[in-house]
Amino acid sequence: MILSAIILFLYTKMLLKDQIEEELYSNKDRLEKLLIKDQSITGIPPIMMVEKVDHAEIIKLKDTLIYDPLQDEIELFEQLSETKIINGQHFRITVRAMVIESEDILFAIVFTFIGIILLTFFFLFYLNKSRNEKLWRPFFKNLDKLKTFSIKSNEPLNFEDSEILEFHELNNEMESLTVKIQKDYRNLKQFTEDVSHEMQTPLAILQVKIETLMNDVNISEEQFNNFSSFQVDISRLKQLNKKLIILAKIDNNQFSTTETISINKLLQESIANFVELAGVDIQLEASNEMNVIMDNSLAIILCNNLLSNAVKHNKDSNQIIVKIENSIMHITNSGDEALSHPDQLFDRFYKESKKSDSTGLGLSIVKKICNYYGFAPSYNFCENEHQHNFQIDFNPQVLNNF
Amino acid sequence: MKYLIAEDERELQHSIATYLSHDANVCETASDYHEASEKLEMYEYDVVMLDINLVTGSGLDLLKKLKKQHKKCGVIIISANSSLDNKLEGLDLGADDYITKPFHLAELNSRIKAVLRRGQFGGSDSITFHEIRMDTLARSAYVNDKPITLTRKEYDLLLFFITNQGRVLSKAIIAEHLWGDDSDMLYNFDFIYVHINNLRKKLTIEGAKYIQTTYGSGYKFIAD
Repeated sequence: MILSAIILFLYTKMLLKDQIEEELYSNKDRLEKLLIKDQSITGIPPIMMVEKVDHAEIIKLKDTLIYDPLQDEIELFEQLSETKIINGQHFRITVRAMVIESEDILFAIVFTFIGIILLTFFFLFYLNKSRNEKLWRPFFKNLDKLKTFSIKSNEPLNFEDSEILEFHELNNEMESLTVKIQKDYRNLKQFTEDVSHEMQTPLAILQVKIETLMNDVNISEEQFNNFSSFQVDISRLKQLNKKLIILAKIDNNQFSTTETISINKLLQESIANFVELAGVDIQLEASNEMNVIMDNSLAIILCNNLLSNAVKHNKDSNQIIVKIENSIMHITNSGDEALSHPDQLFDRFYKESKKSDSTGLGLSIVKKICNYYGFAPSYNFCENEHQHNFQIDFNPQVLNNF
Repeated sequence: MKYLIAEDERELQHSIATYLSHDANVCETASDYHEASEKLEMYEYDVVMLDINLVTGSGLDLLKKLKKQHKKCGVIIISANSSLDNKLEGLDLGADDYITKPFHLAELNSRIKAVLRRGQFGGSDSITFHEIRMDTLARSAYVNDKPITLTRKEYDLLLFFITNQGRVLSKAIIAEHLWGDDSDMLYNFDFIYVHINNLRKKLTIEGAKYIQTTYGSGYKFIAD
């Protein structure tokens, strides 16, 4: 741009100079002709002047500064002077032409250039903008779709096609990728469930054979104790399996039946069972009736898991308190100190203590059920009273508004 | 009593048959859908145990067939799938009970007895073991016709003992029976001793000393 401006400047200057010179020569010729006819003319100063001189001078072209009274400033003129002998008398003919100053040319050029640049810039800017918007629209739409992509969804992502080859290819790749991810996820979920189910039969054979052996008359006490502990281990595997199946089923949305569950009633039954069997002290304090719309078996699992968690980790057989307040269920048991990793409490296979009688899945099932229905589970430790508190806010599914 | 065990796992089939034939019961077995179907058409059984996933067909189809023929036999479904849907489908089709693998033989036995008691399949509401009598409708127990006060769990325990009399019951079997399947508390055995001891005391006072400790940690209900 700058280079072209310089070239344009020099070229214009040269052209103008040529033009002026040409004009000067032709004016001088015209003046000569006039002079031949009439020797008395003196010209029009300062543009054309005729003077009588004593001797001949060579033709001369030069720049000169002359004061122009009309404009009240000194202007640059190009001046051509020559002497001619007409009727034996030497005449000096001088013609001048006002020269456009370089600064003016430069200024004009720069100004025009800036104007053109600005115009081009704005034009291209808006053209690009509207064009880009059109070009990228499918891309951004697809990006939005990608943001809402859920691995758990069974719906494949349908991308908006684009005329642009790269976007088209990107879409194809993303489409096959997301379909594959979803398929793999489904397979994985199904795999967990299938494996758990497939394990049940060999476990059943194992369990039944051990029981048959135990009823055999010829075993020793040591053998019996071994068999007995096998049974306990099989029971643990069975429970683990069962819980994995529950987790997989919640993931697979297989608990679609919903009914109105009275949490109060459910807790009463559950607590009665715990009190009678495990001899623990559990107090139910309900300030209102809470009816929740959910799957019955999940409701039982939710309450039982929280209760058994409280019973298992309760200290010194203190009283366990279960409270129902508005839409919130509180379960409080006593303990020594706060958990070291309360944030991992609801994670799979997280165990605070090395107690072997825990599968480490009970609370993760609680979390899963809560997520499934939009309940809010929370945990905190009350330092003053040394109590672990679990709260479940059943809010979105609570039926009556007290 | 005559039982049919329709189960494609031979090992399982054999163990169940051995356990159940102790009480002078006749146990027949079927290893696939066709064998089971044939046997059900030809013979009469008191209780049929049906595995849902028989290699060559579904146990549920056999159940439908049975109900169409209006056979008077109790049906217990055995399944590796603990899903509630399967359970409900089985019970809706007319099965009397549903048991999920893996199960204890003592548990299966007590379910069979319960089916026999409930139905018209040759059982009665009252169970007698020497001087002990249990009324399963009223959920009450008598020793020499004298009522004894039992808690719910003690009653369940006594019934479980009597139905599995002469068999060795380990703490795991008893715990699972008392807690039921859905419990997370199966590995806490201390409480079982409490319940068994209480029951034993109540029976011993009345002179019925049948609960014996075997092998140090197992139990057996037996008359000397």
